[in-house]
Amino acid sequence: MIGIMVGREVRSAFVTSLPWILLTGGQIILAWIFLQVIERFSGLEAAGRTVTLTQELTLNVFGFAAILIMFAAPLLAMRLLSSEFQDGRFDLISAAPVRMVTVVLGKFIGLLILITPLCLLPLVNVLLLAYSAELDYEQLAAATLGLWLAAALFAAVGLYASSLTAQPGTAVFIALSMLLLLSIIGRAEQFTATTLSLFEWLTWNEHLFWCLIGTIRLSDLAYFGFFILFFLLLTQRRLTNRYLQ
Amino acid sequence: METLLRITNLGRSFGSYSALSEVNLSLGRGEVLGLLGPNGAGKTTCLRLLSGVLAPTTGRIELHGIDLAKHPLKAKRQLGYLPEQPPLYPELCVDEYLKFCAQLHQLSRRQLASAIAEVKQRCGLEDSGQRLIGTLSKGFRQRLGIAQAIIHRPQLLILDEPTEGLDPLQMRTLRKLIRELARECSIILASHLLPEVQAVCDRVAILYQGRICFNDYLTTDQPIYGWRVRLGDGSTLMQLTALSGITGAVAIGEDRYRVLLDDDVDSAQFAQRVMRAGLQLRELVPERTDLERAFFDLIGVESER
Repeated sequence: MIGIMVGREVRSAFVTSLPWILLTGGQIILAWIFLQVIERFSGLEAAGRTVTLTQELTLNVFGFAAILIMFAAPLLAMRLLSSEFQDGRFDLISAAPVRMVTVVLGKFIGLLILITPLCLLPLVNVLLLAYSAELDYEQLAAATLGLWLAAALFAAVGLYASSLTAQPGTAVFIALSMLLLLSIIGRAEQFTATTLSLFEWLTWNEHLFWCLIGTIRLSDLAYFGFFILFFLLLTQRRLTNRYLQ
Repeated sequence: METLLRITNLGRSFGSYSALSEVNLSLGRGEVLGLLGPNGAGKTTCLRLLSGVLAPTTGRIELHGIDLAKHPLKAKRQLGYLPEQPPLYPELCVDEYLKFCAQLHQLSRRQLASAIAEVKQRCGLEDSGQRLIGTLSKGFRQRLGIAQAIIHRPQLLILDEPTEGLDPLQMRTLRKLIRELARECSIILASHLLPEVQAVCDRVAILYQGRICFNDYLTTDQPIYGWRVRLGDGSTLMQLTALSGITGAVAIGEDRYRVLLDDDVDSAQFAQRVMRAGLQLRELVPERTDLERAFFDLIGVESER
C-alpha cells in the first residue's frame, strides 16, 4: 500500500511544473557556484591552498545545495496534505481502508523521491571534474549522504507543516520558519553565559558540516534519524487528530 | 429486509456547537435512503461520520454488524463515498485515477483491469480513459466521482449531493445510474432538493438542526392531502368556496389557494367546475405526502428567520 501511495505522489508531482522548475533553477545556481569555486581554487598558488579541491567543493556546492533544498522541500510538501485538505481530496484517502501511518510513510517516501534528484545535483556537477582533477570520492559519498539526510529532515518538517493547515501558503511559511529556527538555534549558545552544547546539537547544519568534510559520525546519523522520526510521528498524530476533532 | 447499516444515538460536536445529535437510523439491503434537509442541517457531517472520515462524539455506527469506530479498516472495505466535491486529481488521467482508487481499496492486480472497465462502462466513461481529469466537464467529474466510489463493489454507497451543479439532462442520467446501482448496494444520498429525493429514494429522513425530524417510506400511492390551486388574476377565496364539492379552502398567496375536496369529487371534476364558474385555472397540483408538508414547514421556518 505504501508503494501505491508513493507511486501516485511521484506521478502527480512529475506531471506538474514545480519539480522541473526547482531542478532547473537549482542546477543553474549550483553550476554558477561550482564554476566560482573552480575559478578561485585554480587561481591560488599551491602554497595558498589550505584545503583540498574536494573539500572546497563539498563545503561550497553541497553546502549551498542544502540551503536550496531547505527552501524547495516545503514547496514540494505543501501539495501533499495541505492542498488535499483545501480541495477535499484527502477524503478519498480518509474513507479508504488505509492506516494513517501508511499514508504518512507513503507521502514522506514520495517526497523523498522527488527531492533526491536535487540532492544528486551537486555530485553530478563535481563529477564533471572526474577526469581532470583528483577527487576524494569517499568524501563526496559522505557529503551526498549528509545532504540526503538533511533533505529527508526538511521533507519531514515540510510534511508536518503541510498537515497543520489547509492553506498551502501558510504551510510553506510554517515549514520555513521551523527550518530557519533549526538552522540558527546553534547561535543561541553565543548569547548564553555557560557553554550549552544542546543548542548546537539541535541545529542541522552542524551535523551536515561533519558529513561535508567526510566524517560520518553515529551521533549525526542519530540526530537526523531522531528528528525525521519525530516529525513523522507528529504528522501521524496530527492526521489522527483531524479525524477526532 | 436484512439490516445493513445501524446507527445508534449518533452525535457530533465541534467544540460547543452540536452539529448532529441523537440520530437513530437503520438501512436495509438494497434500500435507497434520502437524507433531506436545508443547508446547514447536518447532512454532510452525518455522511462524513458514516464514511469514517470523522469520528462521532457519541453513538455507534455498525455496518453489517462491524463497528466502524472499532474496526475501521474492515468496515471501510464495504463503503463507497462520494463527497460533495468529488476527490479527483486533475493532473492524472481517468484510467490512472481509477487504478489508484481500486488499489486503495485493495483490489488484486488480476481484478484491476476488469473493475476499471466495468465502472467506466456503468458510468459512461468508456471513451474518457486517457483524458486528463482536469479537462473533464462537471458532469463527467461527477460520474468519475461515482465510479471511484463503486469500483470495489461496496455494500453501502454514500453520496453527498451528487447532482449538485449539473444541468437537467445530466441530473436525469445520474439519477438513472443511482437507481441502477441500488440493485446491488444500499445507498444513502444527501440532498437539499425534495424532487431529487422523491425521484430516486425509497425512504427519506429529514434532518433539521442536527436532528432527524421525519423518517418514512416514499410510496407512489400515498393519500392526497389536498390540492394547490392557482387561478387567474383577481380571483377571490369566496369565488372558490362557492363551488360545490369543496370541503375547505385557504388562501396561501395572491391567486393561490390550498383546497380540500369532498371524497366523491376528483381533480377532473373540480377543474371542470372551476372552468364553468369562469375562473381561470392556471395550476392544479396535488399535495400528496407528509414529507412535502414536513419539508416545506421546515423551509418555512428557515425563511422566516
